Amino acid sequence: MAFDMTMALFRPALKYAMEKNGHGKTLGLKMTEINRGEINLVFPYNEEVVGNPLTGVVHGGVIVSLLDTACGSAAMTVLNTPAVAPTMDLRLDYMHPAEPHKPIYVEAKVYRQTSNVIFCRGLAWQEDKENPIAHCVANFMKVDSKSINFSAIAVTQLRRLMPWGQRSSSEQESGK
Amino acid sequence: MSAHQDNHPLEDWQASVTAARLEKCPQSVIEMIPYASFIGAQAKIENDQLLYWLDKRPSNIGNPSLPALHGGVIGGFLELAAAVEIIYNLDITAVPKVVDFSLDYLRAGRYKTVYAKCNVLRQGKKLVNVTAIAWQDEENTPIATARCHFLI
Repeated sequence: MAFDMTMALFRPALKYAMEKNGHGKTLGLKMTEINRGEINLVFPYNEEVVGNPLTGVVHGGVIVSLLDTACGSAAMTVLNTPAVAPTMDLRLDYMHPAEPHKPIYVEAKVYRQTSNVIFCRGLAWQEDKENPIAHCVANFMKVDSKSINFSAIAVTQLRRLMPWGQRSSSEQESGK
Repeated sequence: MSAHQDNHPLEDWQASVTAARLEKCPQSVIEMIPYASFIGAQAKIENDQLLYWLDKRPSNIGNPSLPALHGGVIGGFLELAAAVEIIYNLDITAVPKVVDFSLDYLRAGRYKTVYAKCNVLRQGKKLVNVTAIAWQDEENTPIATARCHFLI
């Protein structure tokens, strides 16, 4: 496969935006794989997000956040100029409760895209991927990237951390 | 907190829920769930119906450039609201288990308070179907709707 310059630049920007900002930072999730149309992330167990205090099982809302983040990120990566693709809907099936004190692994894949819509599915599991805790399908809208310009901001934040300049980020910023 | 303690956590749980119903204080039910304070969800009774709300806080932001609320937080908030609706209103003994959850995003969640209301559409012996709706400015301009099934 040819070297993908857009992804090479977008990968650290997305990782930074998801791990160091807002809710992703609060959850403490880590993006382990970022490729075109495919995202893997891991969430370490955290007692603050327990949903059932009797068992210590994490709340389903955390699984929603993880899968929404993973599917939304996967949707971004398939765009020519990566940008936020708003979620239209998300459906989650919980196969069994997550076991406490174990990390949760999430994988999201774009399985189809049309001119307006990106179709994703995601899987969350702990020890056995064949025995997942949850499965989801989520659809995203393709919108004009300039109207949100997420990647420019993510790249600007990233540039602060990097001593060298990035030609492509300045191109994206000029599209503000 | 954990099931390994010698006292009976399920009995403590039931006693707390009963006390909250008697005091008409759904806030004390929502506070029993650690995830609620993680996102900052609160509950009260308004016009004989439970009203849930989520004040803005930086840790709930998804897109820092707008800024917009994290879609997952809105989903988690609605799922939490649906669970609390069941715990508070229905005569059940255990913590309900979510089976599936379906969420439609109607508008972007802006960085301000989100409100939610739930409606139990059907309660069977095993399964409960609940809908939830979230809004920010006006109740008739919702930002998201959700539907979920719980095993009880």
